[in-house]
Amino acid sequence: MALAFLLILLSPGAIAQKFGISASAGMGSQGMDDLKYLQKYILDTYPVEGRITSSFPPFTNVSLNLVKEWYDHIYIGGGYSFSTTGGKSSYSDKTGSISTEISAASHRLGAFLSYIILGGERLDLSLYGRLDFNLSSVSIESAINVLGYINRIYNQYRSISPSATAGLELMYKFSGFSMGLEAAYLVDFAGNLTNVESKDDLNDPYDLNRILTSDWTGWYAGIKTQIWFNF
Amino acid sequence: MRKTILVLVSFTTLSLLSACYFTDSEWYKADPVADDPPEVSVITNLDTLYNPRVNDSLQVIYELSIVNGELYFMEAMVSDLTVHSSDSTYGSFWIYPSQSNETDLDTLYLDFYYSSNTNTLADIIGFEASITILKYVIDFSEEVEP
Repeated sequence: MALAFLLILLSPGAIAQKFGISASAGMGSQGMDDLKYLQKYILDTYPVEGRITSSFPPFTNVSLNLVKEWYDHIYIGGGYSFSTTGGKSSYSDKTGSISTEISAASHRLGAFLSYIILGGERLDLSLYGRLDFNLSSVSIESAINVLGYINRIYNQYRSISPSATAGLELMYKFSGFSMGLEAAYLVDFAGNLTNVESKDDLNDPYDLNRILTSDWTGWYAGIKTQIWFNF
Repeated sequence: MRKTILVLVSFTTLSLLSACYFTDSEWYKADPVADDPPEVSVITNLDTLYNPRVNDSLQVIYELSIVNGELYFMEAMVSDLTVHSSDSTYGSFWIYPSQSNETDLDTLYLDFYYSSNTNTLADIIGFEASITILKYVIDFSEEVEP
C-alpha cells in the first residue's frame, strides 16, 4: 500500500503540479471502552476509596502530511498523525497516596484522498477519506507512597490496528498557503494490547479469554494549514 | 514567506508532540474520619511483682485484650535486645541472665502495636499503628547464698 501510494504521489500523469505540506492540530474524542473498564477495575482494587479524576477525555490530535493535487479537485497525500489521551485515578491523605495513570498515544501512518466538493476563488470545501496503520502505545503506572515507603509498577502495552477516517475540511486560500478547519470521524478497528516486554496479552481481569483493546474511534476537529509549492 | 511559515509550522508541530502527551496533575484528596481508638488493656504475671529476679530464668506471661481494633504484633526487649515477638494477643516467653549486660537491674519493655483506627491509607494497609509500652524492672543479679 505504501509503495502504491508513493507511485501515485510521484506519478507524472497528474495534470496539476501543486504539491504541499499540511499540518493540523485539534482535539479528538476516543472510544477507549476497554481502558475505561480497566481503569475502574484497578480503582476497585484500592484498599481505600479512590476516585477517577480523568477518564480518557478528548485530547490532542495533530497531523503532518504531504499533499499533491492529483487531478483537478482531487488531492492525494499521506503522512503522520498523532493522538493522545489518558486517565487517572488517585487517592491521597496525610499518610500517603495511591495513583494509577494510564497514558495512551496513537501513532498513525497513512494515505488520504480528498475531493473538493465546493470550490471557490478563496474557499474550498473538501470531503476526504483516509486509511492508516495505527500503532497504539499504552502505559499503565501505579504507585503507592505510604509514610515514606514507595512502590511503583509500570507496564507498557502496544497494539496495531487499521483505521479509517472520513472528514470535511473548509480551507481559505491565501497566496501560497491555505488555512482552515477540519472535522472528521475516525473508525479504529481496535487492536489487542500486548505487553511490550513480556509479550503477554492484556487480558480482561474478569474474563481471561478476552484481550483488552485500544480504541481510537471518535470525532476529531481542528485547525489546518497547507503550504503550496508549485513545480 | 512560505518557507518561513513552513519551517515554523513544522517545527512547532514536531516540538509540541512530546508536550501533547496526556497528563493529569489532579489528585483526589481524602479527609478520612477517624473511628474511636481501640480499647486496650494488658496484664502480665509481673504486674504484682517488685523487681522480679531472673536467677536461672524468668517466665513472662502476657495477655492483651483489645476492643474495636487489631493487634499487629508485640515485641519484648531487654535493653536493645529483642527477646520475644509475636502477633498473638497472649503468650509467654523466658528471660535468661545472658540477655542483659547489666549485673543488677535492667528494664524489660513490652511493646504492643495495634491498629490506630484513623482510617487513613497507612492505617488501612497496616503501616500505621498505635503503641502501648509496658516497662518492668528486672533484677539480673545473682542470688546470694545465705
